[in-house]
Amino acid sequence: MARHQIISPLPGTFYNKPSPDQPSYKSEGDTVQVGDIVGLIEIMKTFHEVQSDAAGTIASFLVDNEEPIQAGQPLVELKL
Amino acid sequence: MKTRYSFGGDEHIFVEVDEQMSLEAFFKSLSMTNAVRSSAITGVIEICPSNASFQIKFNPDVITPAEMLSVLEEIEEKASHTDHNLDTRIIEIPVYYQDPWTHETLMRFRERHQDPKVTDIEYAARINGYDRVEGFIDAHSGSPWFVSMVGFVAGLPFMYQMVDRSKQIQVPKYLSPRTDTPKLTIGYGGCFSCIYSVRGAGGYQMFGITPMPIYDPNQEVSYLKDFMVFFNPGDIVKFKPIDRATYDRIVADVNAGLYEPKIRPVTFSLDDFQKDIDGTNQKLLDVLQ
Amino acid sequence: MTIRVTQPGLSTTVQDLGRPGYFHLGIPISGGMDRFALRAANLLVGNDEGAAVLEAVFMGPALEFTVDAIVAVTGAEMTPKVDDQLRETWTSFAVKAGQILSFEILKSGARAYIAIAGGIDVPMALGSRSTYSLGGLGGHEGRALVVDDELSLGQAGLGAKSGIHIAPKLRRSPGNPAELRMLPGLYWHRVTDVSGRNFFDDTWQVAPEADRIGYRFRGGRKLEFVDREQPFGAGSDPSNIVDGCYPYGSVQVPGGTEPIVLHRDAVSGGGYFMLGTVISADMDLIGQLQPHTATRFIEVTLEGAMKARRGRQNLLDELRASLD
Repeated sequence: MARHQIISPLPGTFYNKPSPDQPSYKSEGDTVQVGDIVGLIEIMKTFHEVQSDAAGTIASFLVDNEEPIQAGQPLVELKL
Repeated sequence: MKTRYSFGGDEHIFVEVDEQMSLEAFFKSLSMTNAVRSSAITGVIEICPSNASFQIKFNPDVITPAEMLSVLEEIEEKASHTDHNLDTRIIEIPVYYQDPWTHETLMRFRERHQDPKVTDIEYAARINGYDRVEGFIDAHSGSPWFVSMVGFVAGLPFMYQMVDRSKQIQVPKYLSPRTDTPKLTIGYGGCFSCIYSVRGAGGYQMFGITPMPIYDPNQEVSYLKDFMVFFNPGDIVKFKPIDRATYDRIVADVNAGLYEPKIRPVTFSLDDFQKDIDGTNQKLLDVLQ
Repeated sequence: MTIRVTQPGLSTTVQDLGRPGYFHLGIPISGGMDRFALRAANLLVGNDEGAAVLEAVFMGPALEFTVDAIVAVTGAEMTPKVDDQLRETWTSFAVKAGQILSFEILKSGARAYIAIAGGIDVPMALGSRSTYSLGGLGGHEGRALVVDDELSLGQAGLGAKSGIHIAPKLRRSPGNPAELRMLPGLYWHRVTDVSGRNFFDDTWQVAPEADRIGYRFRGGRKLEFVDREQPFGAGSDPSNIVDGCYPYGSVQVPGGTEPIVLHRDAVSGGGYFMLGTVISADMDLIGQLQPHTATRFIEVTLEGAMKARRGRQNLLDELRASLD
């Protein structure tokens, strides 16, 4: 089965939920459509939504909540 | 007062006139920066007076740090022999105390406040020994204030109350800063009042709002066409309480290009002030009448 | 003679070498955070070194050209593309009318400088075209670019041509860990000797909220203060002072926990003590630090600061000579 990685466009801090007391946007095994939000990146006092650029099922999150990330780093692996 | 010089990297010299705030320290800082300005020293780029200290930014390729220091020490020596008179202006600033906009904002950030059950001005009145907010407003608007620094952000004046230290209003800042403050909010932190020139974050207590813009980068406001920043360090301010109707009228006048702030030239003497605070203040306020 | 913004990037602003002279009214100098890279970009396209360019942070914009132009991108490694054809950084290249200039994902550094022959022709505000976003002043309408903004270009000089290159040895970038040289002073005496040593011994990380106003760092040990009765007007926290001026590059540590180095859009003053000042030679490097970058502060003397200053000037002279 084909795999696809969602890549971070920005450096910053990754969050898998909209705020600490809310559930995660997506969990492993969830299906996603193009444009679905899978996480947030905090940078320069603002938060940027990370959208899926493919449709499929989430195989795994490659970074943890609140983990520092680099631009170009794979964030989520999808099964297409 | 013991002046302390310290280099801020290779391009700044920071001069602390006194560790604590006083009108004397401010006056010495202002007269030294005025002397630096009038000396037109080659290589000096920025001359920034503040409350009890000041800062010079210079190009060390033009004037070495050691030369800069010795020039300032000479100026300090001369400044100690000059009289303490300042030709300046007094400005009446209309203030709508306890307005709905700062009230809405302070209610949104109640959990960041020392006393979430009361408003900022109720808290400030109580801890400064006033039974009623009205008495506190009388104190805040009754005496003149010195603009002791313009800065933090573009055009924001810090103002120091011209009263005996025993009568000076003091209020702590918010426990943690707000992420929002309405533009033109009258704020208070430590022993300084301020006017927020732009909307944004802030930690000062909020007492009211003025209808009179003090910073306009587009220079559309009639009295800011020559320069976009209204205040200068050394200006004297008198707050005038106004009601909602007056507030609305001034806003309309500002938008129509008709509003002219009330400004009068005055000479302030520090020596006279120290001899007779109330009498000197009364003469200053009379100029506005 | 315009370019149209089809994607704005994260925060892309018009910048030049800034507007000195108004800090006493709270208006900071602004201008490119990495001035060395800004000058280099302009030199590559035949502009004056201080012409207005675009500063793109962490993510590049996409720009549609309506005229033929010569362009150069310096600073952060963010590979430029002309209609999806890759171009080199630190090298001038041609963009034809109708083509789109865009960027690959950031590889290293933080801020790319996009110079276009003729410069970005926004109105001067207090002697500069730089954007000061907090005050809504200068640049394009006093703010970062948004989709569909149109920017005018100035008249390109005769020297503008593609294929001009700056060798890697003439570029500057922060190491890993980044090392920022700091002259202790200002209110250094407020912290204990042990804390002063810890500050220089510890490795700090750039906080994600670092921006043009200031770069915040975390991860080092909390500073301990020398006991004193707080002076009148200073506020009750031991890290408070009577509000004073802040030098560019000054290192304030509110509450003693997280140092903030003020940068080109600095707040001009406030009530936090400062440990010292990052020297002018290293200010450009801060502009290229990504979040979470490991950073050390290195103690220097004033003589050391002046020597570093001359070193940076010499490198700039070498760069100029290499393009003659």
